Amino acid sequence: MNLQFLLDGVIAGATLALGATGVTLTYANLRFANFAHGEFLSWGAYLAMLVASLLGGAFSAPLGPFSFGGGLLLSAVVAALLTGVLALALDAALFRRLRRRGTAVTAVMASFGVSMALRALLEVLFTSRPRYFSDELQIALPLGGGMRATPDQLAMLGLAALVAGAVWLLLARSAIGRQMRAASENPLLAAVAGVDVAQVLRITWLLGGMLAAVAGVVLGVLVQVRPSMGSELLLPLFAAAIVGGIGSVPGAVVGGLIVGISEAAAVQFVGAEWRAAVSFVLLILVLLVRPTGLFGSRP
Amino acid sequence: MTGACLQVEELVAGYEPGVPVVQGASFSVAAGEILAILGPNGAGKSTLVKAVAGLVPITSGRVALDSVEFTTLATHLRTAQGLAYVPQIDNVFATLSVEDNLAVAALAGSRAERRARVQEALAGFPDLAARRSQLAGKLSGGQRQMLAVARALIERPQLLLLDEPSAGLAPKIVGQLFERVRAIAASGVGVVLVEQNVRAALAVADRVLVLVQGRNCMQGTPTQLAADPALAALYVGGAAGVTG
Repeated sequence: MNLQFLLDGVIAGATLALGATGVTLTYANLRFANFAHGEFLSWGAYLAMLVASLLGGAFSAPLGPFSFGGGLLLSAVVAALLTGVLALALDAALFRRLRRRGTAVTAVMASFGVSMALRALLEVLFTSRPRYFSDELQIALPLGGGMRATPDQLAMLGLAALVAGAVWLLLARSAIGRQMRAASENPLLAAVAGVDVAQVLRITWLLGGMLAAVAGVVLGVLVQVRPSMGSELLLPLFAAAIVGGIGSVPGAVVGGLIVGISEAAAVQFVGAEWRAAVSFVLLILVLLVRPTGLFGSRP
Repeated sequence: MTGACLQVEELVAGYEPGVPVVQGASFSVAAGEILAILGPNGAGKSTLVKAVAGLVPITSGRVALDSVEFTTLATHLRTAQGLAYVPQIDNVFATLSVEDNLAVAALAGSRAERRARVQEALAGFPDLAARRSQLAGKLSGGQRQMLAVARALIERPQLLLLDEPSAGLAPKIVGQLFERVRAIAASGVGVVLVEQNVRAALAVADRVLVLVQGRNCMQGTPTQLAADPALAALYVGGAAGVTG
């Protein structure tokens, strides 16, 4: 049996894991499904491309076997910060007001509107033509067991693992991580314990936007950059977050890998046309059998 | 009142605009004093302490801690000012470990100081120290209540608000809990104790306020109120164990 699907699934799953980590944090703390989250991926990728083009010159020279230069990493950091600020601005302008006045359903419907507006704005600014971070050709390296991967794929896999690990450490070991976990479980008790819950929510938006931007850059490097790249990933992102359990970072990573590998397996063993259905099937199965997900504590 | 730690004056508060639950209650608590707030179901006892903690909107009146008014202050800032509140239910973070439940409330000072206060809190509650890595959701009712009290004390508050801490606990555990409350007050912390268990409250309190329909109804020492038939009459059949 050709195990290439497994590696392809892990690589796709790593991107999903990053995006799903943002989804799970925002869902757990803000208590609504933000359907604009996918657009943060697209905006992150476009902003990184914009910053990389502004840096230009020496920064764009490829590093070793990779198709990208040091400029991409710098651009990814700037894009992550800018996307985090975009998420914060949306909260200040819209979602914070809806939290005070409306219900979670109102916020979800508003996030649909925001999603469409953000995607349309990208198409106006950059057109819907696909773009690439680099036109360098990459040769896939043999990894044994019949599997091959390009240096870019391995680098992005490493980056995703590094970022997911850093987020887990932040939540598990830092004071702000503890406050985020506490506020996600019981915001009133967190406030009584002295936690500034409004600040925790701001940090959640910032972190969610930044993670989505990194996922967007990873996806942009490995595939391409398009205005619809984020919205097309929305269902797999939510499936990964729910499979792993809302609020759990390790859950989002495992959920991302499960969805990624399942999609790749579907392509290999059933047919490419079934790929999109995999997220739906996983989502329904988890909601029926274990609504709290693999690592979650609340449905 | 001179030397008052907490002063509450003519407080009107409620969950819905125009529907006050607390309708002009007033009281004060001195440092090191235990004030028990009693009253029949629906008297507004829990709403009163929630309003003082900043969890229920205050329509009018005044709340001050150590003469500093904080009637409109956000909940987390009241905690920073020295007010600690232990809710009746959902008073621990079930998905956090015992140690993290304490650490989340240790907010002031350097990392080393915060860690030292957590260790100090664990040393004061050996039963919790033995379960420091356990999820709080796995604790017994009494252990949860102790953890909630330990968390409330971690920033060394001036005033502790306890909302029906004995609810659902075995009498032996209630006894241990109230011994702890006495020790807390003896250390100089003012305590407001909302209770349905009248006998236990009268045994531990220095002063008692009886609330009816959100207003002050009776006040006095436990001895005065225990001898007052009007208190027993407030409870159905007078069966709240007022006279033991």
